[in-house]
Amino acid sequence: MNWPAFWLSLQVTALATCFILLLGLPIALWLAKVEFPGQTLIETLLMLPLVLPPSVVGYYLLLVLGRGSPLIEWFQIRILFSWPAAVVATVVVGLPLMIQSSKAALLNVDPRLEQAARTLGASEWRIITRITFPLARRGIIAGIVLGGARALGEFGATLMVTGNIPGRTQTLPVAIYDAVQAQRYDDAHRMVLVMTAIAFVGLWWVRQLESSRRPQPAVMNLEQGDEDATVLAG
Amino acid sequence: MQPCLRVEIRRQLDQFQIDMQFEIGAEILVLFGPSGAGKTQTLQAIAGLMTPDAGLIRLNDTVLFRRQPGQTPINLPPRQRRIGYVFQHYALFPHMTVLDNVAFPIGNGARARQRAYELLDLMHLAHLAMRKPHELSGGQQQRVAIARALATESPVILFDESFSALDQPVRERLHAEVRALQADRNLVIIYVTHSLNDAFAVGQRIAIVREGRIEQIGSPVAVCHYPANVRVAQILGLPNLFRARVLRVESERVCLDWQGRCIAAALPTQPLSPGTLVNIIIRAEEIRLVDSTEPLHGFTCHNLLPGRIVERRPGWRLHHLLVAVGSAVLEVAHPYIAYANHEISVGNIVQIGFAPESVIIIPEGGMPPSSN
Repeated sequence: MNWPAFWLSLQVTALATCFILLLGLPIALWLAKVEFPGQTLIETLLMLPLVLPPSVVGYYLLLVLGRGSPLIEWFQIRILFSWPAAVVATVVVGLPLMIQSSKAALLNVDPRLEQAARTLGASEWRIITRITFPLARRGIIAGIVLGGARALGEFGATLMVTGNIPGRTQTLPVAIYDAVQAQRYDDAHRMVLVMTAIAFVGLWWVRQLESSRRPQPAVMNLEQGDEDATVLAG
Repeated sequence: MQPCLRVEIRRQLDQFQIDMQFEIGAEILVLFGPSGAGKTQTLQAIAGLMTPDAGLIRLNDTVLFRRQPGQTPINLPPRQRRIGYVFQHYALFPHMTVLDNVAFPIGNGARARQRAYELLDLMHLAHLAMRKPHELSGGQQQRVAIARALATESPVILFDESFSALDQPVRERLHAEVRALQADRNLVIIYVTHSLNDAFAVGQRIAIVREGRIEQIGSPVAVCHYPANVRVAQILGLPNLFRARVLRVESERVCLDWQGRCIAAALPTQPLSPGTLVNIIIRAEEIRLVDSTEPLHGFTCHNLLPGRIVERRPGWRLHHLLVAVGSAVLEVAHPYIAYANHEISVGNIVQIGFAPESVIIIPEGGMPPSSN
């Protein structure tokens, strides 16, 4: 078992998950609530990492993070071939899942509830934090878990931007590839089992969240009209 | 101080333009009309959920909305207006307890919860404070929604078809509670409905809304008895709407030619000249079957007509007979207990009678009377 790779993977995944939440939630809210020209274009671009080969994503990241890119020249951030580059790569690949899941959940929140909150004197910030996010929490949590799991399993793009330096930039999926290349099958076997277990637990949790969702939001309740009689009599 | 809400709004829709103007004090005003007439949009404009193209909305001295030529525009957001709004499907927050729902407009903390609890107690719901909305019946949920609207401390509460999904007995109790709340707290209440029963049960004034305009406004009885025009009569679904020709105008009565017969009608307020065509309504509840073997009552001696029963139609409270008179079919509504001894089978020839006061001449166009 390659423990340095395991811990590095956890570290990268934890950081990436935080960024996925902090970036994904506002973007999802923006896409769900605001209509603007070019919305479809933006959404398509954000979803692109889901379908592009990881090597393509990695290539773009090399361009963005590499020497000569404005980001690097202006801000003097040099992270290529160090572990923070893995965080960037996993965020880019995990973000679409977070955005997709949270946006669907946010769209599912009954706008009449938000309207009602407005008439009750709530500010937009209070509506978002007290009404919209709590009602969409299952989809948001599912998005975080899915995005985090995708970040944990990210391989191709990470390989291209971190350079696969054992003990320094080598994450678990890359280490598995390495072990197989070097015909260390026992090592690979253990790491594969760990990865599978983590992925399974994550997905299982998401399934639980989705199946415990009420089939109908409890806004309408037409069936129990005549209980009132007992209330007034009692 | 008596609250006063002034509403003048205009908004262009696909099919028609909303052009509403009314003023309401501490009372219950019913906006009545078919679906899609602009009633809900009017409430939304008052609450700030919809922005009209132009107009003025003023509550006492506070301008909530103003967009008029030569004036600085004002459009307060809903949270600054804080107008109580009771939605059709309750719109309770499903993830909060009943108590938290009612405390939402007040704030956080012990005092907010105390106030919310008092309001729940007022609506007979204190024992359900810790439940979630979905555990409550429809009527209970709507009571929570009313308590929550009261928690805004708004002098205005808008009911948007609020009780239409509830059973009739529940609805009647809630109507009584709304009337009591209005009187106790001196509230301005606007109640949108397309049920005439609800309008009568709750409304002190009723505004008939059609295609974004108020056709007539007045007490429910006045509006139903003296519709301002044919459109109002049609929206109210009043039966026995016919055309007749003025024969002559006497000092107290008008003689009309209807179905080739002369019938007397009470003198309307507007002047009439002989020969003109007018719309009339013969009130279905005030038409009697006259038994030829019994002496005539004085009040029916003006309008006695022969007819043939073409249909019997049992109704909810009254029994209805459709009687053919000439080429017209007249609806006669009567209590079930009446005419127990009469032959009222289909095909029978009967004699019907009605007082001149039961014939309403509907003004052609003209301004709706603001009778109260």
